[in-house]
Amino acid sequence: MRDRKVTIEFNDQVVRYFMLASVIWAAVGMLVGVLIASQLNYWRLNFNLPWLTFGRLRPLHTNAVIFAFVGNMMFAGVYYSTQRLVKARLASNFLSWLHFWGWQAIIVAAAITLPLGFSRGKEYAELIWPINIAVALIWVTFAVNFFWTLARRREPSLYVAIWFYIATILTVAMLYIVNHLSIPTGWLHSYPVFAGVQDALVQWWYGHNAVAFFLTTPILGIMYYFLPKAAERPVYSYRLSVVHFWSLVFVYIWAGPHHLLNTALPGWLQSLGMTFSLMLWAPSWGGMLNGLLTLRGAWHKLRTDPVLKFFAAAVTFYGMATFEGPLLSIKSVNALGHYTDWIIGHVHAGALGWNGFMAAGMIYWMLPRLWNKPLHSVSLANLHFWTGTVGILLYVAAMWTSGITQGVMLSATTDNGTVLAYPNFLDTLNTIRPMMLMRVIGGGLFLVGWFMLIYNVIRTLSGAQAVNGSIEVHEEPVPATKPLSLVGAFFNPPVFFSVFGVAFACAWMFGASLVSIGGLVGLITTGVLAFTHFGSRGHAWADWYDRLLVTCLPFSILTFIAVAAGGLIQIIPTVIANQAASVEDRREIPYTPLELAGRDIYVREGCYNCHSQMIRTLVPDVLRYGDYSRLGESIYDHPFQWGSKRTGPDLARVGGKYPDVWHYRHMENPRSISVGSNMPNYPWLLADPLDLSSMPSKISVQRMLGVPYPNWTPEQITERVQTQAKGIADSLKKDGVTVAPDREIIAVISYLQKLGKFEKVEATAVVTSAK
Amino acid sequence: MTRPPEDEDPIRPHSFDGIQEYDKRLPNWWLFTLYITIVFWTCYWSYYQWFHAGPDGPQRVEQQMAAIEAVKLAASPATDDASLWKMSRNPTFVEAGKAVVATNCVVCHLASLKGKDEAITAIGPNLVDTTWIHGGKPSEIYDLITKGVLVKGMPTWGPVLGQKRISEAVAYILSFHQEGEPIEIVPAAPATPPAP
Repeated sequence: MRDRKVTIEFNDQVVRYFMLASVIWAAVGMLVGVLIASQLNYWRLNFNLPWLTFGRLRPLHTNAVIFAFVGNMMFAGVYYSTQRLVKARLASNFLSWLHFWGWQAIIVAAAITLPLGFSRGKEYAELIWPINIAVALIWVTFAVNFFWTLARRREPSLYVAIWFYIATILTVAMLYIVNHLSIPTGWLHSYPVFAGVQDALVQWWYGHNAVAFFLTTPILGIMYYFLPKAAERPVYSYRLSVVHFWSLVFVYIWAGPHHLLNTALPGWLQSLGMTFSLMLWAPSWGGMLNGLLTLRGAWHKLRTDPVLKFFAAAVTFYGMATFEGPLLSIKSVNALGHYTDWIIGHVHAGALGWNGFMAAGMIYWMLPRLWNKPLHSVSLANLHFWTGTVGILLYVAAMWTSGITQGVMLSATTDNGTVLAYPNFLDTLNTIRPMMLMRVIGGGLFLVGWFMLIYNVIRTLSGAQAVNGSIEVHEEPVPATKPLSLVGAFFNPPVFFSVFGVAFACAWMFGASLVSIGGLVGLITTGVLAFTHFGSRGHAWADWYDRLLVTCLPFSILTFIAVAAGGLIQIIPTVIANQAASVEDRREIPYTPLELAGRDIYVREGCYNCHSQMIRTLVPDVLRYGDYSRLGESIYDHPFQWGSKRTGPDLARVGGKYPDVWHYRHMENPRSISVGSNMPNYPWLLADPLDLSSMPSKISVQRMLGVPYPNWTPEQITERVQTQAKGIADSLKKDGVTVAPDREIIAVISYLQKLGKFEKVEATAVVTSAK
Repeated sequence: MTRPPEDEDPIRPHSFDGIQEYDKRLPNWWLFTLYITIVFWTCYWSYYQWFHAGPDGPQRVEQQMAAIEAVKLAASPATDDASLWKMSRNPTFVEAGKAVVATNCVVCHLASLKGKDEAITAIGPNLVDTTWIHGGKPSEIYDLITKGVLVKGMPTWGPVLGQKRISEAVAYILSFHQEGEPIEIVPAAPATPPAP
């Protein structure tokens, strides 16, 4: 028998590049974050420049932190750990470098287009369609490189970190593609194929699970590799890994509608969003437990080792954020916290605490190993840790206080509950200004900590020689366990119980009377049978799972089925539902060409970052903004603009509330009308001419998507625009403002004055749960 | 003894790049957290989606708004001319009204309440002279503030301020006027400066 050994050299060069890119983009993303946080306090920091206004920079901040900072960090961690966990070099140098340079090119393209106002108007999905295609292609590059590496592995069994990487790659691809389905109107602009409630549902299915599968699962995988490595302790519990992995990836997908609680979203989806968010609590904490309890026996090392400090704090923040998430998903808590800074605090506990500290710990761990030189200064890394921790705590505490304060003020009533106690929105904004300032200080401290890391990296790197890891392996590996056939992977008790359990649960939830009762009986029976079977033949389940772990394809297929289920069940009924039946009693009046042009400017300027267009079914909302929003009132909105944050008031029914001149003066200088406002000035809207050249193609795309526009010729469109614009210019003139009718401000005013206009329709059907 | 000591914990035979895994039991409290949330899901779904025992969002908000409307109707203050004139001579009402006006009205009508008569850029008309656009009787002023004149930029204040504060604001405005002074109705001519 031959037992020749070969040495494999890992591709650590691409890991180094990704790691350094992450370090740099983190600084950029956080700098923008500190700037926009400051803009909220000092409106002058918008500089009256289009490309420096909050509405355009906030997408830059979120995209930079998520996709540039955490993205690059994730790729570095995934590539470093995967090569070692499967004992194989990355499959293709070309794909690795295409992945790296392609991703950086995408980031640069985003950093240019977002400040210029090229936006799809959907959160964390703002990038325009040519960049979307590039992202999809580079993601596929990553996937091919990764799975090809797995195919060449010399370690038969897949470690838990790899499970999380597989779930990440498959799910992000699915989410990204569906949420970016668009019809282009030109090279730089497109309309999403979904509108109104459908777009809202798809967006938050994506948005929520971008957090889940871009910011959580890959980082959990990274935790499962780097934390036990750094602690030099075994992972706490393998079976906890199994249970929390599968429950996490299955349950996460269903929770998206918790971003749309108390809105016009149908009640059954809201109930799903809330209850599944609560069921997500334990699976998330499974990850935290496995991280923290792995440190048992290594706690004394935390005193000296900055890496373990970062990891322990990161996992703690993960636990905190994943407790807060379910809490905020309870409808009554959400009524208070949604649209406020509480949500901002929640996501930053995750982004700064979990992602930021996992990144720091990982970088401090890899740095000496990738360059074969001790870290320049351990005490500086410790100082980074404490600075960052104080920064996060200040940030999060400020945002909790701010969010709860504003939430309580916005819902406070007086005169026996008949009138709002603070009818002026600005009273609530100006109350939380000290908290917003404290947020800047907290975020600033975190950034100062990051600069300490950068200094440490630079000093460690100077004079250091890059080294690639290597490993000796047997030339011909022998699989330890007999792999499963495809049939064996799917036809076995655990899969049967899971599939039947979900099917019965769906029958119970969505079926009509008899089907529903049958579903409930089936669900309970399946549960009892599964428990009994596991009790008596649990080792058979364990054997099956051990054998599943040596077969990459069935494992990946099962993972994909688990993550796809929730989305399919929520989205497909909503998308195929008869629109006429789901408008309730109101239907939106389609925008005139001028109003549509104004809406595109609204999207371009990122108004949705501070203004919602969704009056919730809550008394404080109705008292403040008018009758609650109906489904039918946004059915022609490509993209929907319901918003997720109210730094300013809701705009769903702002149309007709103020005269045209109010809007003109308000866009020119908000403080001339609303004393104490922190909204930027928009002088360029008053000066720039409206570009109508793309209107015909925009209207034809809207027609294609089902908006009932007549088949206008370009001349007819221009004529309509000019007639309506002249009317608004005339009305402004009467009030003492002379402005040419071809300026952008006219289109914006026409759009704002249209918001909330609808026509009554016969209620053809009541929206019920999906049938 | 229910648990084996630390060093006897089952450890999985395989190691990955030096990483080993214990195979410890799932903590009971963790399992119960999971089970309780699953039970909650079935109960919540049954209550709201199966039996429809609780109101959905629109039903609830409409019930609550109807209750608010009832409270309002029951507590309507006197808004006839005589009562409002009486309020306008009462310092407590006028002081309260001044505060209401300062936070809500002066943006358009200016602190002097002279509006367009003082500055051409002001949106609102003069409220302290004897010419009126929409009627100058106290009850007419009250109604106008409550309903607003949207086309001219006067918002609908009723739901924002409520009856009590609107009557206070009227009292404050009336404190600049005398009962029985002439009321000259001049329909708005906004293009020409200042229609009062």
